[in-house]
Amino acid sequence: MTFTGLVGRICLFPLRAIIRACVVLRIHPNVLTFVGVLINFAAAWALALGRFVTAGFIMIVANIFDFIDGKVAVELGQVSEFGGFWDSVIDRFSDIALFIGLIYLYSHLGRTDYVMITSLAMMFSIMTSYTRARAESLIARCKVGFMERPERIVLFMIGAFTNRMAGVLWVILVLSIFTVADRIILTYRELRTTGREAVV
Amino acid sequence: MKNPATLPGRVLWNAFFWTYERATWQYDLMVIAILAFVWLTPPDWLGDPTAHGSGPIGWLLDRLR
Repeated sequence: MTFTGLVGRICLFPLRAIIRACVVLRIHPNVLTFVGVLINFAAAWALALGRFVTAGFIMIVANIFDFIDGKVAVELGQVSEFGGFWDSVIDRFSDIALFIGLIYLYSHLGRTDYVMITSLAMMFSIMTSYTRARAESLIARCKVGFMERPERIVLFMIGAFTNRMAGVLWVILVLSIFTVADRIILTYRELRTTGREAVV
Repeated sequence: MKNPATLPGRVLWNAFFWTYERATWQYDLMVIAILAFVWLTPPDWLGDPTAHGSGPIGWLLDRLR
C-alpha cells in the first residue's frame, strides 16, 4: 500500500461513523453540501484575520461535510443529477471564499505581490474545474493534471496549520497552470483525433 | 505527441502531463516533492507575508558555513 493510500484509509475510518449518523438521521445530502460551504465561509473569515490554525480546524470540519455528502446520497438512495450540479457549484463558492480570505489578509498587510499570486492561483483553480466541465461536454473524459480540489484543500490545511501559506500558494498556482494546460492539450488532441476540431 | 527518449525527459514529461491516479507510488512521490518544497523552502526566500526565518535549509546552510 502507498503512503497516501494509507492516510486515506485512516481518515476514512472516523468518516464512516459520521456518514452512518447522517444516514440514520436522514439528513438530505444537499443540506450537508450547503452547511459545508457556510463553514468554509467561516474558515475564509479566519484566514482573512490571519488566524491560520483556527482556519485549519474550521476547514477540517467544512470538508468533512463536503466529503460525506456524496456518500450519504448513495446510502440514502438520493443520488440525483441536480445533487451533482449543486455540489459542483457550491464547491466553487468554497474555493473562491478561501482565496478571498487570503486576498483580504495580504491586502491588509500591504502585500500586493501576494494579492496577485493568490488571485492568479484562484483564477487557475477555477479554470481547472471549468476546463474539465467544458471538455467533458465535448469528449468522454478529461481527468488529467495533478492539482484538483482535494489536493488544493489538503494543501490549504497544511499551509494553515504549519504557517507556510506562501509556499502552498506557489504550489497551487504552478500546478494549476499545468493542469489547465494539460486539459486544453488533451481536449485539442482528442478532438483532432476524431476530426471534430475543424467544426465551428 | 511522443514521450521523450531520455529518463529525465520522460520524468519531466510524465510530471507535466499528469495522468496517475491517487494512491499510486507516482502520486506519493509528487506529494513528497510538494511537502519538501512547502516545508523546507525558507519563508524569507519566498517573501512570505506571515512567516519569517530561514527554515530548515537556512539552518543547514548556517551549520555548513
